[in-house]
Amino acid sequence: MPSKTPNALLHGTLDALILKTLAGGPRHGYAIARFIEDTTGEAVLVEEGSLYPALYRLERRRWLEAEWGMSELGRRAKLYRLTDAGRAQLAAETATWRRFSAGVSKVLLAR
Amino acid sequence: MRRSLRSWLWRVPLDQEVDEEVAFHVEMRTRELIDGGMDPKTAREVATHRLGDIAVLKDTCVDLGRKRDREMRLMQWLEEFQDDVKFSVRQLRRSPAFTMVAAITLAFGIGANSAIFALVDATLLRPLPFPEPDRLVMIWEQTDTSRRTAVSPPNLVDWNERTRTFDRLAGFVPSVGGVVMAGADGSAENIPRQWVRVGMFDVLGVTPVAGRTFLPSDESQRANVVILSEAFWRARFNGDLSLVGREIRLDGDPYTVVGVIPNEVQLLGQTSIWALDPRPVPRGVGLLRVIGRVKSGVTLEAARADLATVADGLARDFPQTNKGRGVIVEPMHDALIGSDLRATSMLFVGVVGFVLLICCANVANLLLARATVRTRELAVRSALGAGRRRVIRQLLTESLVLSSIGGVLGVGVGAAILSIAPLLIPAGVLPGAVTLTFDLRVVTFCVAATLFVGLLFGLAPAWQATDFSAAQVIASDGRTTTGRGGRVRSWLVVGEVATAVLLLFGAGLLLRTLIAVNTIDRGYRAEQALTMLVDPLGSRYPTPESLTQFLDAVEKEILALPGVRSVAWTTTLPLGPADAGRTSFEIVGDPPVDASQRPIADYQIASPTYFQTLDLPVVAGRAFDDRDAREGIRVCIVNEAFVRGYLQGRSPIGLRIAMRPAGVAQAEPVVREVVGVARQVKGRPDEREDLVQLYVPLAQDLRDDVYLVVRPAQGSAAALAPSVRAAIGRIDKEQLVSVRGVMTLEDIASAATSRHRFRAVMVMTFAGLALLLAMVGVFGILAYSVQQRSREFGVRMALGASLTDVLGLVIGSAARLIVTGTAIGLVLAVVLGRLLATVLFGVQPLDPLTFLSVTIVLAIAAVVATAAPAWRAARIDPAVALRSQ
Repeated sequence: MPSKTPNALLHGTLDALILKTLAGGPRHGYAIARFIEDTTGEAVLVEEGSLYPALYRLERRRWLEAEWGMSELGRRAKLYRLTDAGRAQLAAETATWRRFSAGVSKVLLAR
Repeated sequence: MRRSLRSWLWRVPLDQEVDEEVAFHVEMRTRELIDGGMDPKTAREVATHRLGDIAVLKDTCVDLGRKRDREMRLMQWLEEFQDDVKFSVRQLRRSPAFTMVAAITLAFGIGANSAIFALVDATLLRPLPFPEPDRLVMIWEQTDTSRRTAVSPPNLVDWNERTRTFDRLAGFVPSVGGVVMAGADGSAENIPRQWVRVGMFDVLGVTPVAGRTFLPSDESQRANVVILSEAFWRARFNGDLSLVGREIRLDGDPYTVVGVIPNEVQLLGQTSIWALDPRPVPRGVGLLRVIGRVKSGVTLEAARADLATVADGLARDFPQTNKGRGVIVEPMHDALIGSDLRATSMLFVGVVGFVLLICCANVANLLLARATVRTRELAVRSALGAGRRRVIRQLLTESLVLSSIGGVLGVGVGAAILSIAPLLIPAGVLPGAVTLTFDLRVVTFCVAATLFVGLLFGLAPAWQATDFSAAQVIASDGRTTTGRGGRVRSWLVVGEVATAVLLLFGAGLLLRTLIAVNTIDRGYRAEQALTMLVDPLGSRYPTPESLTQFLDAVEKEILALPGVRSVAWTTTLPLGPADAGRTSFEIVGDPPVDASQRPIADYQIASPTYFQTLDLPVVAGRAFDDRDAREGIRVCIVNEAFVRGYLQGRSPIGLRIAMRPAGVAQAEPVVREVVGVARQVKGRPDEREDLVQLYVPLAQDLRDDVYLVVRPAQGSAAALAPSVRAAIGRIDKEQLVSVRGVMTLEDIASAATSRHRFRAVMVMTFAGLALLLAMVGVFGILAYSVQQRSREFGVRMALGASLTDVLGLVIGSAARLIVTGTAIGLVLAVVLGRLLATVLFGVQPLDPLTFLSVTIVLAIAAVVATAAPAWRAARIDPAVALRSQ
């Protein structure tokens, strides 16, 4: 039976995606949402309601830091950037994900 | 981190930040949807909708943001603190001499305070080691003529039956003399013992270490049972659990050990064994010290009122014995500690607190001097953007680092003081089981003291050091000193001198008290005498004849020893313990007095040679002699207080006195004829009222525990001890175990004045320390000012000022500090001297001699402190001073 929510995020994955998004450089919240939608081909739908709490949470854990700057359209926007700690966290989460997906694949894709 | 700090410093208010961020998102999304062909209104709705419940979203974000900010602030504070500590340590290492002097000063201050805290904690603060100690009280009886008398056992029984406010009352007999315990190996030792009533341990709420406490059945069956103290059980029986239920031999009789009780109970008097009091005692004979546990929730006042009502009831039921007999109920903690020790503790706290203040003032002075030197450094830092608060915080951190070093050393000093404290504190100053320990409470006190002290001595210097205009300081050549700093320092030194004067004054009063109690006329003139308690085993001398024979034989044997001048027996030693109790008396022929109103006197039994042995003059009539035999006319000797107080000019010789044991109103009186008047003898060295003393010949009231007094022909009495013991042994070898408490008259007098000596020595030590610190302060400020003003002095000398003029400047400023400080100190002494009144004896709080001595001591100290800086000023070479730019 096909899942009703094929694009539901696994718990904790949103954090990893945000970190990965910011690895390319500072962005504001909307840009982060857009980037994830674009890159995942909208296969993963970011719950916009949980994006901002996630950003504040990550900032509190000091994986991100925020600064007010100018958006591309010349508007004041809060820009997030990855800290060194955030970069390390991203590496750790990537490694975990790699192990996890490899394991799951081995089972699900086994003939 | 740096960047995030900046963004945090320049942040917008949090809710505005969240609002703006969400609005931005909605707008961007809306614009995207419009670009995709949606109409603006729908686009905005969809964009908003996709965010879900925006109010909840905002709340969550604001909440998270707030926590983030708080953590950031804390992180930043900790980081700055860490930086400050590192910087402080660097600064302190740069001037090791300053750091060492300051740290050692503080270590002494904190160490001394922690040791005194341990004393106060043990005596005043710490609750008694029993469950719900607030409910425990001690109870005495009182009559119009006597306060705090022991309680009659039948009264205790009735109190227990009639009271409604006590869970239970119980009593004990504090000292009944020891018992002799025979060991399996034929050895014998004397064991201190206490008699108790059933319920004693239950009132206290102690649980036996082993076995059980006494039961009512033990008392009703008059069973031979004992309970051991834990310390005795461990020391003598190696904590053998199987001892419970077995028998030990005490005074030759078998007793069953039923339990072992923890040491805390010894707070009520040190003893090794508790036994049940076997004696039936009539109502009216005071015997017991009573303790009680007040019912939960009942106030002390209610308990007092209830027991007073009970006592009134007993007075109606038994008017013969209980008329006019009230009760005193006091919290057990107060009763055990006693007002004297409380006063001593508070005195020490005050004194040592003042010493700590002087320490702080000295360190503050050092810091102020340093701050003047560091003005440039501080100005540069403030010019680089450090706010005044930030600089003050940094300086305070430095003070705290300094005080922490002092605190750590102080813990060591305190532990060292406490480890030698048992040698310093004379026996009898602390009640039984109170011990001074360096525990967590004392360490906690040290930590608190360290923080307090760090802020205390750091605040003024930090405030003053940052009170400058940066531009001015940097522009100047750095040699300027702020006038205000100098003033603050001067006042600190004046304060130190004043405090030292106050402490010296207190020490002087206590020293005068000590001298007074040591030189007071004690009544007897013998300087050397050896005393010991001889307590013949009752089983060996059952009849008065055999006992008399034994005492006579011992007396003769000792008198035959070479170097012995005379030998006597008595029940009371001057300044020492009185064992024969007190007696009420009436002069036969005088109008009768109500039983409860009869006067009370000390009752002393003495052998005929007693007066001659102690060189105690019989000022009228005669001493006892062979006429006063057991079957002869009953006689007594009165003392001077009796003649002054009760005879109104009549001649005492030939008067007849009716005596009854104190508190036994209905007892058949013994009527005795006065044959002599003895000089007044002090019962205590600091007693304020002369006691009435009545002497009775030993032959007419034979006791089996009496003090032996031996006076040497010449030389030291202590040297006689071995031969005297040997002489007793020759008469009865078995008896040697009953000989104890070997002391010379000097030992007894010294023990009697030990409290005064202890107080005087302690306060003098602290006052000396205070004086030293204050003079270091005076020296410091003078030396510094001579150094600062050397150029000025050079100029003056170059312009023709004489050596005397320059010396005058230095000595003048020293004199101003010291005279002001001394004056303030003496004024404080006048105000505070009154607080000492309770611990003084033989000296007035405003003693002029003490005032004079303190002033002289101060003057001498001042000369010493001023000499070096003055000498230095006098040696200033104008040429050198002027050239040194």
